[in-house]
Amino acid sequence: MQRAGMMTAGTAALAAMVAGVITLAPAAAQTKKEAPLVTTGDAAARPWKRYSGWPTRDESKWSTLAKVASPPPPKPEDVKKITGPITGDAKKGEELVADRNRGGSCLACHVMGPAGGANLPGNVGPDLSEIGAAGREDEWLYNYIYDARVYNAETVMPPWGSHGVFTDAEIRDMVAFLKTLKSPAKFKTVLDDPNKRPAPVEKRENLDPMENPGMWAVDKAQELFKQASAKGSCASCHSDPAKEFKTWAASMPKWEPRLGKVLGVEEFVTRHAAATTGAQWLMETDDNRTMSVYLHFLANGAPIAVDTQSADAKAAIARGKELAERKIGELNFACTDCHGKAANHWIRGQWLGEPKGQYDHFPTWRTSLQAIWDIRQRFQWCQVNIRADELSPDAKEYGDLELYLAAQNDGLKLSVPGIRH
Amino acid sequence: MADTPKIRVPKTAKKGEIIEIKTLMPHIMESGQRKDKDGKIIPRKIINKFVAEFEGKPVFSATLEPAIAANPYLQFNAKVEASGTFKFSWTDDDGTVTTAESKIEVA
Repeated sequence: MQRAGMMTAGTAALAAMVAGVITLAPAAAQTKKEAPLVTTGDAAARPWKRYSGWPTRDESKWSTLAKVASPPPPKPEDVKKITGPITGDAKKGEELVADRNRGGSCLACHVMGPAGGANLPGNVGPDLSEIGAAGREDEWLYNYIYDARVYNAETVMPPWGSHGVFTDAEIRDMVAFLKTLKSPAKFKTVLDDPNKRPAPVEKRENLDPMENPGMWAVDKAQELFKQASAKGSCASCHSDPAKEFKTWAASMPKWEPRLGKVLGVEEFVTRHAAATTGAQWLMETDDNRTMSVYLHFLANGAPIAVDTQSADAKAAIARGKELAERKIGELNFACTDCHGKAANHWIRGQWLGEPKGQYDHFPTWRTSLQAIWDIRQRFQWCQVNIRADELSPDAKEYGDLELYLAAQNDGLKLSVPGIRH
Repeated sequence: MADTPKIRVPKTAKKGEIIEIKTLMPHIMESGQRKDKDGKIIPRKIINKFVAEFEGKPVFSATLEPAIAANPYLQFNAKVEASGTFKFSWTDDDGTVTTAESKIEVA
């Protein structure tokens, strides 16, 4: 898919800087001339258009990684007073807790007795199969669904009522259902029990082109590397890519003072190609992904070693950490909710990994989608999933977040392209 | 920049050995059964025939049908008596034939 580009300004001037072989040493050793980059314009399509096939809900009123917009959390005194016992429709409540079109279903995080046929529930939250016998008051149950933050500021549970996902009447129906739950869940198979389900292990040979179609990008990239654009090809300057890029990708992303943001491999490719060969390789287009796979592939086996020590890097990592902890979207999740507090648990049938191990295989082949995804696309998908608007792939916030993630993967050896579901 | 076929044939073998051959052809294998957003049938486009030859003689062949998934992978065995070249060909619905070769040394 080709997207209209905007990056043409300044390419001629910068191209004049290209002479001989450009050495792209890791940041710490970079004393030679800097790699030419187009420092104006965007590195991705504008306006950014969400991928077709992704959810199209308008989430503009919620916080994103670029803005804080969601209403502030309630205070303990904001508990909704419930007078008298809740008498909702327990049958409707049972349907609601398993309705994936609404909340994403309570079963994503909780085992809930017979709800949804006890089919692959998750275990991020407590097992609620006996909540009806736990002596909880109706008001407590109601408020825990409406906005659990009134009882627990650290909760990862979405504020279903405050964010308007479920109505008052629907929450009452769910409470009525919860009150019927008094005996442990019966699972049809051991895989349905999230506490017994074995953690997934990826055993496929990701570097075997017979197993991983992502590897085909490596062949394509070698042609692309030699393919002349307006002012030559990559090979015009880089005569021995295998040697020159042996560790380069493992040193990325890094702070780029000329742009005032953190650049990952993909944005670097866009801006460097535009400045040198004139190729228009916007982020998240096929050619860009192909080159990113290749440049990572050449650094396979190199331990991830990003700059975390310079003042700029430290500041970027601090910003990245803050972004990772920001609650965003209608479901009000922070990166650290799922991949910190709830890491190594199941959300429905999906395993929530911890940050370490989530970076060394990107870009990766997605077998379920028959496509290569780079890390920025993975970030975007995470956000759309939790009902937050994604940012453009070249957003500076993603740069900070990527550096923070890479720093947590320090020392892991690159193995790209990965292969994942 | 079309995707090229991937093949795995041992470089060497003993006389009379039964070797394993793996082939994978990157291809969309559009079945002709699916409809696009406007309800129109997406035309069929598949690899309909695969042939493996050794020194010009057929070793293995297959007729592929629309139900076969994208990127057809075929694995089969052959007995080798002498050094020579395996030649593989994949025939597309549009008539395009993609070929690949692999030499084997038999000691």
